Amino acid sequence: MNLLSLSISHHTAPVELREALHLNNEEIKTFIEQAKGKLFNEGLILSTCNRTEIYGIPSDPNINHSVVQSFILGLKPVPEIKSEIFKNYFSFDAVKHLFGVITGIDSLLIGDNQIYHQVKDSMRYVEELKFTGFLTQKLFDAAIKTGKRAINETEISEGAVTVSYAAVQLIEKIFSNLSKKSALVIGAGETGEIAAKHLREKLIGRLTITNRTFEKGQLLAESLQARIIPFENFKSSLHEFDIIISATSSENLLLTKDEIRAIMKKRNFADLVITDIAIPRNIDPESKEIDYVFYHDIDSLNIIVEQNLTKRRAQIPRVEKIIDEELKSFFDWYHSLEVAPTIKSIRDHFENIRLAEVEKNKNKFSSEDQEKLEIVTKRIVNKILHQPTVELKKLTEGENNHDETAAKVGIIREIFGIDNASSKEEK
Amino acid sequence: MKSVIDFLNILLPFAYTATFSIYFYDFMKGGKKLTNSKRLFLFLTLILHSIYLVIRIIAFNHPPITNVFEIFTVLAFSVSFAYFILELLTDIRNTGPFIIIISIIFQAISSLFIEDLVEVKEILRSNLLGSHVFSALIGYAGITISAVYGLLYLILYKEIKLNKFGIVFNQLPSLEVLETLSFYSAVIGFFMLTIAIVVGVIWLPTAFPDFSYADPKLIGTSIVWILYGLGIASKLFGNWRGRKVILFSIIGYILAILSTLLSNFLAQSFHSFY
Repeated sequence: MNLLSLSISHHTAPVELREALHLNNEEIKTFIEQAKGKLFNEGLILSTCNRTEIYGIPSDPNINHSVVQSFILGLKPVPEIKSEIFKNYFSFDAVKHLFGVITGIDSLLIGDNQIYHQVKDSMRYVEELKFTGFLTQKLFDAAIKTGKRAINETEISEGAVTVSYAAVQLIEKIFSNLSKKSALVIGAGETGEIAAKHLREKLIGRLTITNRTFEKGQLLAESLQARIIPFENFKSSLHEFDIIISATSSENLLLTKDEIRAIMKKRNFADLVITDIAIPRNIDPESKEIDYVFYHDIDSLNIIVEQNLTKRRAQIPRVEKIIDEELKSFFDWYHSLEVAPTIKSIRDHFENIRLAEVEKNKNKFSSEDQEKLEIVTKRIVNKILHQPTVELKKLTEGENNHDETAAKVGIIREIFGIDNASSKEEK
Repeated sequence: MKSVIDFLNILLPFAYTATFSIYFYDFMKGGKKLTNSKRLFLFLTLILHSIYLVIRIIAFNHPPITNVFEIFTVLAFSVSFAYFILELLTDIRNTGPFIIIISIIFQAISSLFIEDLVEVKEILRSNLLGSHVFSALIGYAGITISAVYGLLYLILYKEIKLNKFGIVFNQLPSLEVLETLSFYSAVIGFFMLTIAIVVGVIWLPTAFPDFSYADPKLIGTSIVWILYGLGIASKLFGNWRGRKVILFSIIGYILAILSTLLSNFLAQSFHSFY
């Protein structure tokens, strides 16, 4: 299969270069408009914060990886880029790489199933821009199936692998139903925002935000339909919350052990989860000594993250097995698109139809006529198939592009329903 | 029929051990691979056990409550059966090994020492005695399960406090769920013990001429009953929660076991049949 692929990812490039080569939807659209017909006939462009990947079936046999590299750099000039930051794949390796990406085993956070959705979105986007064809469509279907299988049949995406998500996982080990609980997030920075979003996703009953800069906190609160309380007096209502997540950039402790003890008395010692994901810490770590206070800081949450990452790494061989199975299935299909086996399949397909009809109706004929029936029906089938056979044979002559031939053969197989018929026969 | 009883008597501890092993393996391996098959195994073990109990009743013409080893086999069945129902109702499937191990202990002791009693005192064939003992046994199954969930609560509580996120953290349900399961099991246990005590107090003086309110089993059960009553009331009306209530349940259970052992094996009274 004449599929080219170039990848810039966390494996090959630092974040600055990945950012420099990141393509937004507008840029992807421009890329496709300029590349279609000149560089690729069909393909896929995937660009996330950790990777930019180009896949395509070249429109000309002379187009190779360096031509595509020059094309990208022409579109997004980055002077410090060297060709080593591009990882190049071809044919089988390109398909294998795509399957690795969509299953998450190539991700920075192994098993991150966000990449599965990102690849699917990218596929949808190139479809909208009519940059797909018969082969890439099949490739996308195979890739999506591989990704789905990895998620459903293995534990590659299980367990929290970020500190904010680990905090939520921990909270769920204490409370069974978050919809009956109330949470306070102190700090509306990036970490606080992610933690608040996770709580909202877990359907927390009441979410409250407090932030030193009120307006910033208000923006986050509005986006998450949360309540906002002024930072100056958040301490007065602390006893109302079952969960406190602190993620500010404060250099000093915001809450002391004595303050937490006072809150617990007001709460009649109902369970209180405190997650301090700030550096330096915002809440006195000695609070953990108070009964029914579950205090955890970034170090303890990192234990959960590391454990889950280890478990996910252990799942990689199982995912690789799925990838191997799907690669085999995809290339079996691809090789079936060769001309000679297709001619045979079409002939077998028609012969089966002929035999079935003759068998069904032969009792309506006398024994002498049955012989004639055989001859006549065979002749009809041969005459019908003569022209398609000649045309198919022509595809193998001259300098026809192999992928173009495969695409044409694929359409013929689809029209006659040959693959469906043979799979029914196998069953 | 006798040979079937003997065969099942030997088979049952092994059946419970096999079920426990599957639950335990699944617990250690992440609780996903054998989710359905372990439940099926428990179901089959309970079916075997029911057949055993029914055949015993028919063969010996009395309910299997006439001595402590017959009671142990009923208790082994009640505990696992109660867990099975709880698992079906809550779909919490990872706590099985901690409950089924209790059934293994009771059943193993019963299988080792049980005898084929054909001749029993006429009083032990009474229906009122049957309801008295069966409600007491369901009560004991309830408080057993309550104590196990209480213990799991304490273990998980400690693990979370100490930042230990191992197998216990990953496999057990949340603290809130463990506390709820422990509490509801205790409530059911308390309710059934209440019935057992009421039936006993009404019927025993008429059935036994040597009945005495100073009977050690009666005193022991009453203390346990009062303790559970206080624990339940403190949670319902005194806003007690968490470890305090759990400790009530565990101490109550230890007392219940001690009082049963002492009253059955040491103190001889009208209430001892073995």
